[in-house]
Parts: sequence; C-alpha cells; structure tokens
Amino acid sequence: MEENKLCWENVSAATQIPELIVCPDRTQIFMFSAITWNRHLIHYSKDAAISEGLPDIVVQRALIGNFLARLITNWVGDSGELRRLAWRVTHSALPDRDIVCRGKIKEKIDSDGDKCLICEVTAYNENDELIASGDATVVFTVNHRSS
Amino acid sequence: MDARVPEDVLAMIGMEKVRQYDVTTRDIKRFAQAIGEANPVHFDEEYAKSTKYGAIVAPPLFCQMFTYEDVPQDRLPSDGSPVEIDVPVPAKRTFGGGSSYESFQWVKAGDKIIAKSTLKDVFIKNGRSGRLYFIVVCTEFSNQKNELVAKETATYIKRI
Repeated sequence: MEENKLCWENVSAATQIPELIVCPDRTQIFMFSAITWNRHLIHYSKDAAISEGLPDIVVQRALIGNFLARLITNWVGDSGELRRLAWRVTHSALPDRDIVCRGKIKEKIDSDGDKCLICEVTAYNENDELIASGDATVVFTVNHRSS
Repeated sequence: MDARVPEDVLAMIGMEKVRQYDVTTRDIKRFAQAIGEANPVHFDEEYAKSTKYGAIVAPPLFCQMFTYEDVPQDRLPSDGSPVEIDVPVPAKRTFGGGSSYESFQWVKAGDKIIAKSTLKDVFIKNGRSGRLYFIVVCTEFSNQKNELVAKETATYIKRI
C-alpha cells in the first residue's frame, strides 16, 4: 500500500485520476433510497418513472455524488481528505449500466503550507453521454481531523 | 410569459427544520454497503483500529442519510418526493439538480448529529423543455460538541 501512496510532489495540474467504473443495479439503487430515507418513487417504481417520461428508474443524484467521492478517495487514500464535492446531474443514469467516473487536477494550491487540489470530476454513461460534472477539493493534511 | 414564484412560496424561504440522530456502527456499515464502498475502514472494526482514524469512520458524504425528514408516509407528496422540496409551485416532476457537499470532520459511531435544513431559495428559469422551478435547500450537520461536521447545499429542479 505504502509505495502507492499519492505524493504531493508527484501531482500537477492536468494529472489524470484513475478512472472508476461502477454499475449500480436495482438492489443498490433501492438500498440507497432506503438508507437515505428517500421515498421518491422514481428510484424504485418503474411504472412511476415511466409516467414521468423517464425510461426506467433512475440513480439518485446523491448516489452519483458518492461514486464521484469514491473516485477521489480511492485515488487519494490516506494522503488527503475530500473536503468539498460539488456536482450537477445533467442526464438520467439508469440501472445495470456502467457509469464511468473520471477526473483530473485543475489547480494545485499551496498557500502557506495549506496544500489543496481542485479537481474536475465527470461521470459518463456507456453511450459516452455526460451524466454529471463538477469539482472536488482535496486537502493534503499533516494534522488529523479531531475525532 | 413572465412567470413569478408564487407569493406563498416566497414566504416559505428561510424556513428551518431541525432534527437529531444518533449515529451507530450499523448506520455506517449499511451506508457503506449502499454506496458500494469496499474500504474496510467503514465496516471492519479491527482493521479500522489499526488506521489513523482508530475506529470505523463514515464515508465522506454519510450525512446524506440525515437529509430527509422521517415524516410518516401520508405526509409525503403522492410521488414520494421529499417534503423538504414540497413547495406549492405549479410543477410536479422533480429531476436532475445538483449539490455542493462539504465535509469537515469524520463521523463516528456514538456521534449525535443535529441536522438543520433551511429552504434557501426558489427561482424560475426557462429551459428548452419549458419553465423550470429551482428549489435550493441547505442542510448543516453539527455534532454533540456543536461543531459543524458537514454542510450540503442541494438544488432540486421541478418541471411541469
């Protein structure tokens, strides 16, 4: 694990983040509705989704956010912390379809020892349509967050 | 075609709701499972003890599980969408939207989370598919020490 540790010195603007591919199925979408107590029918009733003009149930905005968060945390590991994630859903994501999460560094900021990275993040479906885009702020820390 | 947000909706802006939850290991494990997170620091106590966190910690966007008020089902709109965005605009279907989530501290079992949600704004934009109503809800999550652990500003879009 240690030798794969992400180093501040080794990243620069335009550094690509290793892709993350996920494929949420109906069970996962249901579990996420349950754990967040989100009872919006379009996430588990295909009939309700179709009556709203959608092709099928749709993946929750918040779950897509968690995939983008994992793109970052898988890459950063213990070297830094995800401080902020902002994302906008631009296209419905459907069950049993791959979602490809990608990212790259937009800005590397070091002000008085406070080191942080601003990363661009995107999620595409298998037809290469943009599902979501946004940005993430990663803080490289020496001191741990208080417990 | 100049549409305005109805007065009774504008009057709701600034409305706050507060609720409190106790975080358990089970909550964290189930949230991690639901998002498909395989990092054992979110569910394996022995492993978590050996890390810098010293205990199971929740994934970064964990406080999303406290975003929606646990009202009885008969108080939900007929489409089951959250009461937080149940404002009387002439648009029914909720879709898309965006979010800005900030995470300031790791959440652990035993924490008490106080979620305070505020209806921040309601505004109209005319899109290609017609008139869109944007509903902005900000939720602040604080712990038992009154420290802000996370904050989410979510934008929901409703269309006719």
